[in-house]
Amino acid sequence: MNKLFIFFVLLKATSSFSATIDVRLIIQNGTRTLVDGTQVLAKTFSTSTSFSENSDTFIWSKGDDVNLKVVNLDTDAHSFKIDGYIDFGNIPAGDSIEQNIQLTTAGVFRYYDNSNQPYNEYVGLSGLIHIKELTDNSTYFYWDLREIDSVWNAEIISNSAQPTLTDYEPDYFTVNGKSHPNVNGDPIARPVGNVGQEFKIVILNNGLSIHSMHFHGYHLTIEDDSKKAINIGRSKDTFPIYPSEYLVLSCTPDKPGEYPVHDHNLAAVSSGQVYATGMFLTLNIAP
Amino acid sequence: MRIIFILIIIANSISSFSQIDYTQLIVGRSTGNILLHDGAFPRIFGFANNTSDIIEIPGPILHMIEGDSVLIDFLNMSQGAPHTIHLHGLDVDQENDGVPSLSFQVNHAEHGFYRFKAPHAGTYIYHCHVVSTLHVQAGMYGVIVVHPQENSYLTWAGGEQYGRDFVWNASEIDTFWHKNSVLNHLYDAATPQPVAVPDVYAPQYFLINGKSDSQLADPANYNYALPNEDVYTRLVNIGYYGVRYIFPSSLNARTISSDGRPLPQQQIGDTVEVLPGERYGTMIKTGTDANYLVQVEYFDLNTQVVHSTQTLTIQLSQVGLDESNINFILFYPNPSNDGQFFTSTIFEEEYKIMNLMGETILSSQSQHIDLSKYSDGIYIIRYKGNSYKLVKQ
Repeated sequence: MNKLFIFFVLLKATSSFSATIDVRLIIQNGTRTLVDGTQVLAKTFSTSTSFSENSDTFIWSKGDDVNLKVVNLDTDAHSFKIDGYIDFGNIPAGDSIEQNIQLTTAGVFRYYDNSNQPYNEYVGLSGLIHIKELTDNSTYFYWDLREIDSVWNAEIISNSAQPTLTDYEPDYFTVNGKSHPNVNGDPIARPVGNVGQEFKIVILNNGLSIHSMHFHGYHLTIEDDSKKAINIGRSKDTFPIYPSEYLVLSCTPDKPGEYPVHDHNLAAVSSGQVYATGMFLTLNIAP
Repeated sequence: MRIIFILIIIANSISSFSQIDYTQLIVGRSTGNILLHDGAFPRIFGFANNTSDIIEIPGPILHMIEGDSVLIDFLNMSQGAPHTIHLHGLDVDQENDGVPSLSFQVNHAEHGFYRFKAPHAGTYIYHCHVVSTLHVQAGMYGVIVVHPQENSYLTWAGGEQYGRDFVWNASEIDTFWHKNSVLNHLYDAATPQPVAVPDVYAPQYFLINGKSDSQLADPANYNYALPNEDVYTRLVNIGYYGVRYIFPSSLNARTISSDGRPLPQQQIGDTVEVLPGERYGTMIKTGTDANYLVQVEYFDLNTQVVHSTQTLTIQLSQVGLDESNINFILFYPNPSNDGQFFTSTIFEEEYKIMNLMGETILSSQSQHIDLSKYSDGIYIIRYKGNSYKLVKQ
């Protein structure tokens, strides 16, 4: 009887395990180096006092407590919002806001600077949060899509001009801030698996362009779509994704091999006028 | 022992070769031109299915039957960079995927062979994957239609019956991208070098099946259907813009498939958005109006601004109508149970009827076609550069 009770308590403790997580996001500006060595101005949420070229992806669990502090080290005012969770509102230059967040809802969320729309989030002040169900043991990969119009970055960050959306002509295309071939070195981006073993991909479009991601080798199933619920359950090889939209795709590979995934707006498979250095990576599936 | 082993290998290779149900020759060329609606005549790359044919945009539609073992014999007859065939959406294995650095490239005057089993009935694309940003824009693409085994006028096995289907393949042309200085580049998958592409994509021509504007207003490029007919539209986008097909509400558009798979639930609506690389199957039903106009909007994926609207015409036609002046031929019955087909069209020259192996089995000018001695299946009749499908079942 005692053993059974202890087992029950252990089981209960395991299933309801939650963590307290301290996260500090520092708004900073700096320079991002692109795939061809070009440097552009950027602003990001960094987790350390040194400038990070990209805002991080966070993977938490439902039930976690997150002590979140957002520090604005930039010379401009900013804001901070997680859709469906919190809105810190204005954070003046040099100021900070701190709050405890209980993660009561699982799902994919965007965090971003809601001020000076859409320019601040475009220059890098946006990122991806995945809050997993405690029972979710799936293997996930994460793609934070973003494109860069190098002229825009200079104009926005230097405050020299407010570019118009109809003039948007991005010349760099990235997944998690990286272009092909560098993105294949990103372990949270590049799907690696085995035949018969399911994996999932969370795709969030933090850019301003529409992308159309095409998979070679496999059809994948749409498990979640933040903008078009009617798409859920569809089996496809090409997935449109609008700005601020996220998709969760599942794939159980039926054969081994290395297969490309890329934007089928083929102009986005280049960066800085060079093919094939854009939104392009490969899946690597072992037997 | 060694002799037995060699015999086994030979027997295996013979038996796997004999299992091929469908062989298709595809010829790739980098020397051709397209006549655009305003007389512009830019250079293109492209595909043909015959060494004597000139290339066109898009390449020929390939018809296959679900479950077929397919062999595509790709002959590259172009100088300069190599080419490949990527079988977009067919989920083939890595060896046959057509990405030069991960499978193989086909150099000038060489053959490349792609083997696969035609999967689910549906609509797919084939295109070159060598420096695809340039070669697809240059014109190296076409559509593959996989038909269900039981009846080629079904959307898929157990799916919906239709009277005819239209394949509408959207793309654009930016003539700057078609200049020799852009298209003449070198590439070798063994030592891949970065290839320069233009800095801006700003197309001036917005195409459906290689035609636009006044060309689409020409009755030769209308889409003909019967009154009260179920028509399956295969909507394809191989361009770099998004497209929106906007059907008249009287056609009661229902989208029932995408990317070669049935949708879990049909989507009822007159507007169907098709992004680059996607395919949708939308069922419409004609009434008795003389014609129906389908608008196609092309929008920039960066700005979402619509840059062009093209108009497709669905013109109703009755069997018996004098079609001598239009580029449309009705055969009836089609499908035919006994292999007898008739048409009211008077042929000015011989047509050819080919099987799906690409072999010509009949040449004639007769208005009566007798395929009774041939096996059940799909046959292609070619007349004045156009292809029509005959089904014997």
